[in-house]
Amino acid sequence: MVCYLAVISVFLLLPQLIVVVVAFSEASFVSFPPPGYSTKWMVRVLSDPSFMKPLWNSVVLGLSASIMAAALALPASIAIVRHSFRGARAIQNFLLSPLSMPALILAIAMLFFLSDIGLGNTYAGLLFGHVVIVLPYLVRTIVAVYSGADPRIEEAAYTLGARPLSTFWFVTLPMLRPAIFAGGMFAFLVSFDEVAIALLLSNASSITLPVSILTYLTYNYDPAVAAISVIKMIIVVLALLVLERFYGLQNLTMQSR
Amino acid sequence: MSRRGSMRQGARGYLLTFPAFAFLAVFFVGPLIVNLFESFKDGEGGITFAQYARALGDAYYLEVLADTIGLSLVVTIASLVLGYPLALAIARSTGALKSFLIFLVVTPLLINVVVRTFGWMVIFGRSGFLNSILKFLELDTITLTGTWTGIAIAMVQVLLPFMVLSIASTLEGIDGELEDAATTLGATPLKTIIHVIFPLSLQGVITGTVLVFALSIGSFVTVMLMGTNSTMVLPLLVYQQLNLASDWPFAAALGNILIFVVLIATALQLGLSGRAARR
Repeated sequence: MVCYLAVISVFLLLPQLIVVVVAFSEASFVSFPPPGYSTKWMVRVLSDPSFMKPLWNSVVLGLSASIMAAALALPASIAIVRHSFRGARAIQNFLLSPLSMPALILAIAMLFFLSDIGLGNTYAGLLFGHVVIVLPYLVRTIVAVYSGADPRIEEAAYTLGARPLSTFWFVTLPMLRPAIFAGGMFAFLVSFDEVAIALLLSNASSITLPVSILTYLTYNYDPAVAAISVIKMIIVVLALLVLERFYGLQNLTMQSR
Repeated sequence: MSRRGSMRQGARGYLLTFPAFAFLAVFFVGPLIVNLFESFKDGEGGITFAQYARALGDAYYLEVLADTIGLSLVVTIASLVLGYPLALAIARSTGALKSFLIFLVVTPLLINVVVRTFGWMVIFGRSGFLNSILKFLELDTITLTGTWTGIAIAMVQVLLPFMVLSIASTLEGIDGELEDAATTLGATPLKTIIHVIFPLSLQGVITGTVLVFALSIGSFVTVMLMGTNSTMVLPLLVYQQLNLASDWPFAAALGNILIFVVLIATALQLGLSGRAARR
């Protein structure tokens, strides 16, 4: 078993580790192990707008898509869990359904659709596309946490005379904040990494980082790819640290304060 | 609660879900419907099945479809065989080891598929890591980029975490006392796993299998970067039809065929899950 775990650990981690090493390679071409080490590729990539602009685009797109998806998912999730109405189960499954669709096919379908309604090649189209694929993560997280929360807290608020809106703002929302953040973090990471929809729906000004890396790779093969990948990895790790620091992953199973 | 009160409750429920529902109806279902219609266009405003006839009647396209399904099956089975022991290890371990194993499984998911594929290109390339080791051991070098093997290995690394997480979550729910009971009755560890644990984890196995299959059927980045013209899969073909040939109806038809394969797999999952649950 130990032998197996060692082998599989190497298998799962090796490509990423190699990318990190190559990012600091001294050579002008990709080779492993590198002939020497230098930070020149990192510097070059950090000062290159053709990588930095997509990086910025990806961050902005990820945040925008997550926030928009959260705004849609929050009322829906609350309704699914607390308000008994027929078809709640079906609606929940519907909201989760984009997860089962192959990304590229959905991307192509969106391309046709957006062109037909005049949103083709616009930022709105790209944003809406990402909201579609990111929404399920928020719904799933918020519903999971809210279902596990104690309904008597909100009932207590009602009994004490609070109106529905006040209850929502002062009781429900704080209870759900960790879930919204965790779901939003998943959403951001999914959007940040997404290739297919961005590939088809972004243009020169809205191009995202994965797409620019992909395009670069089809014409070039040098450590610049590794360098920009390391920067991307750093951002992802930072995002996770923020989540852990502010809300703690254990808060996702919080029942009541 | 008065009847009028519960009706208002229901109405509010629909109202709250409406924004999300409407958004998906327009921007998710809408495109799928448009895609469906697009595949039936014949250029003069009429309806035709010609695109599907073209796709399913040509040996080349059928070969691509077969290759795609074959690759996905290989990747799925490999993920299952490699992933099950890892899931077992995660479910049974505690403390630092458990955290490490979960970190091991989750980290690849946080890295973009383009980056991970690039890593494999460095490993499998002609002057790559693998060949450096082989040269060191004075063995012949092999170039796995551009081969189905190399692509499959890279895809397994990308998709293995999904399989492991699906199975591990089901395994966590299995009562440890069942294992103890089996051991008390004289079963060897291997027999316990085969006859007791595996059947109980079937739900997770099915979920993971279908998930990995669906993801690999739809994946194209790894094949795009590591493949050649002789390693073609359906999603990549669809992308090419769109980009190079600008043949929208044909691309739409091919896409629908792909969706159809995924739907069959998902239906299979629901069917098998139902049977597993009833055991």
